[in-house]
Amino acid sequence: MSQSAVAVSQHEVLMEASPYGIDKKKLGMWVFIVSDACTFAAFLFAYGYMRIGAPLWGTPFGPSSVLNGMVMTAVLLTSSFTMLAAVRAAQTATKAETNKWLGLTMLLGVIFASLHLREWFKLIAEGWRLFYNPTGGAPQFGATFFSVTGLHLTHVVSGVIAIAFVARGFYRGRYDQSHVETVGLYWHFVDLVWMFVFPLMYLMNAH
Amino acid sequence: MSSNRELAMTSYVGIGLGLMLIVGFEVILTYLHLPPRTLLFSLLCLASLEGFIAIMYLMHVKYERPILFWTIFPATLFILIFLCYIWPDAFRMASMRLLK
Repeated sequence: MSQSAVAVSQHEVLMEASPYGIDKKKLGMWVFIVSDACTFAAFLFAYGYMRIGAPLWGTPFGPSSVLNGMVMTAVLLTSSFTMLAAVRAAQTATKAETNKWLGLTMLLGVIFASLHLREWFKLIAEGWRLFYNPTGGAPQFGATFFSVTGLHLTHVVSGVIAIAFVARGFYRGRYDQSHVETVGLYWHFVDLVWMFVFPLMYLMNAH
Repeated sequence: MSSNRELAMTSYVGIGLGLMLIVGFEVILTYLHLPPRTLLFSLLCLASLEGFIAIMYLMHVKYERPILFWTIFPATLFILIFLCYIWPDAFRMASMRLLK
């Protein structure tokens, strides 16, 4: 152990234990989640009052899009459970087992993103743009839909990349189970946000 | 750290099915053709219920020390309520003809 590492470990002994009883990485992730939840809430509130205020709002989602949305929800929810299995495996089982579950979570994340992009391309092919409504109604639909779902999609893609980094580090012994728990917390948050995005962005605009 | 009072993986399957059931109920509500305000309110209530279940069980807040819950959630709720407070500003936007 280097001199600086010894100094840090001795310092930690003198430090008062965290009142939260959780790892500092996890606490940091909670703070990030709170700030990110406020960002999403601001977007969704803005969308909500424009949706209610506009007399002619576009309703482009037919039953096939709603079904696609339900499949996306099921995929993301399943990925939350594979992430839970990965966290359990990191605590009790082998590295290979942990990475198997993390890999499955990443795969489900990629499937979710693909289904989401398919929906985007379908809308774009129908003529929907950021500031253009092909049905002649409120042009804000495109701006709100693409920004809210785009922000969520960015979180999903970032999550998949973060899981890949953690899986690699965990396998090489550079990261421990607390890293898996922290990235898991982030992934559950991405799932949580989708629970609001799906009903508000898809179901509110279904015909 | 999370305690070992956590649920067995089989119990999580039940939670997952429950969450999907709520999603199914949301879809049924959508096709009842309720007025937009009623539908928005109903969907928000159901989404909040789903969110609460996810926070407590998937994000393990139920198994952490209560101080974590009491530090994070009242503050977050305060911010969300404050966002609601500025909601009526939408009417000013409507009168400015920004929504046409």
